[in-house]
Amino acid sequence: MIRILLAEALKLRRSLVLLVAATPPVMVFLLGMLIVASGEGPSEWTMLTISGAAVWAFFLMPMSAIGLTALMAQLEHGPGTWTHTLGLPVPRWQVFLAKAILALLLMAAVSLAVALASWAAPMAGMLVPGSVAVMGDYDPGLAWRLYSQILMSGLLVIAIQWTLAMRFRSFAVPVSAGIGGTFVAVAATSADKGIYFPWLMPVNVMASDPARTEFVIKTGLIGGVIVFALAILWLSRKDWR
Amino acid sequence: MTQSVLQFDNVTLRYGRLTALDSVSLSVPKGAIYGFLGPNGAGKTSAIRCAMGLIRPRSGRISIGGSDVVRQRRRALASVGAIIENPALFPNLTGRENLEVTRQMLNTAKARLDEVLEIVDMTAQAHRRVGQYSLGMRQRIGLARALLTRPELLILDEPTNGLDPAGIRDMRELIRDLPERTGATIFMSSHLLSEVEHIATHVGLLQNGHVLFDGSLKALAEEQQARLIIEAGPAEQAAPVIEAFAPGQWVCDGERYTLTGQFPRAPQAIAALNTALVEAGCAVSALHLEEADLESTFLTLTRPDSSGKAVAA
Repeated sequence: MIRILLAEALKLRRSLVLLVAATPPVMVFLLGMLIVASGEGPSEWTMLTISGAAVWAFFLMPMSAIGLTALMAQLEHGPGTWTHTLGLPVPRWQVFLAKAILALLLMAAVSLAVALASWAAPMAGMLVPGSVAVMGDYDPGLAWRLYSQILMSGLLVIAIQWTLAMRFRSFAVPVSAGIGGTFVAVAATSADKGIYFPWLMPVNVMASDPARTEFVIKTGLIGGVIVFALAILWLSRKDWR
Repeated sequence: MTQSVLQFDNVTLRYGRLTALDSVSLSVPKGAIYGFLGPNGAGKTSAIRCAMGLIRPRSGRISIGGSDVVRQRRRALASVGAIIENPALFPNLTGRENLEVTRQMLNTAKARLDEVLEIVDMTAQAHRRVGQYSLGMRQRIGLARALLTRPELLILDEPTNGLDPAGIRDMRELIRDLPERTGATIFMSSHLLSEVEHIATHVGLLQNGHVLFDGSLKALAEEQQARLIIEAGPAEQAAPVIEAFAPGQWVCDGERYTLTGQFPRAPQAIAALNTALVEAGCAVSALHLEEADLESTFLTLTRPDSSGKAVAA
């Protein structure tokens, strides 16, 4: 299994996947730095941490899931390498499990990078003349809790995007589903039933009601594991024409 | 009895209402270079996908080295190397990295990379990205990848497709030498007999999902038959005369009739046919007997059957 995981990781070398993975932290860093440098944004560490996490949960995380999973799948769909990969005498479920683990590791790495960028951005912004000093202390525990909970509650969205990306040769299907899901999430952000909508689960991590937070973490996590498991089982048994 | 490396037993495959393979049975003997021939759309790639366990046939059995491809997929495929449809490689990786991906997955020795690159003469270009390769170079890297596990069976799907004449020649020579260099049995599909007739020891002919011939090239040569070509019209007058002359042994393409199989070949009989056609009111523009070569045998066997008469060997 480790060998297959290493082989899957090697496929990413010099691919656009790594460029897409680098985009969210760079965006968060630049945006955060400009906000602090302009002196017009939140000037308190807790608020900056929460607003950075909110941008990630609401928009950048679903978009990253779309981009990373679609590009990872296109590495096989594009040149038509499925016939080779799945024609090898290795268990197919291990191939798909390795791809799923790699997608999750990438999403976790991007989450970590975004969390670091949301800390580094105000630090850099304060170096700009005319910026305001950020009040209070940076709370790494808060950042860790928020970003790890967002990742757990976002597992269902990642699993859905991954499944669509692996199944469909055209990237239009997972991208359309992802954009549609994110659009509905934007339109229905404050809806009571939003906690049942996969694309709104990461946002609800920051809900004031702890029960909502707990619900979306459990549902996102368990739902994600179930979807991943079913998808791996199905993909490894289906015919590949 | 000759040991069979790859065996199809009554394999049927359907895509919805379309029957891609219809009770296909064929046998690839150990050590053979087997040319799997048929026109485009005959079902060759579908058969290969079934053999690689990528598609499960509706019925029948495919075995490689005695192991069932569906029930014992990993064991069956352990002795197989393949290029299916085109040399599908990762364009962002170098040739060597492409091989390394497969090597990692199969846990073969690292030294094997250099060996297979040497076999396909790609050692010098292996560090370049595949995106910069010509089609011929991709085919070679694809072949190197297929050879990584020292396969007993090498499945090559249209390996010369898209290559220029020099590339076709090089690939053909490479394939011809493979059994001796690697000990592999080769199963190679093509839609052109000319591509395989100089290197194949055995052939299988497939058309519309049916096997028309499966056996040695020598046996196919024995199938070669003389053909009587007649160009006469109109069809209403010509067809009954030709049918009376050689019942069920002809196919027509417009006003061109080709007779194969059992028909009178004596000059007097052919002259009598000419007379009968003229007396029936036909305009006869050509009437000649052709000794068939391998190419025309292949074309005859795989020609769409315009008269509804059986032409299969």
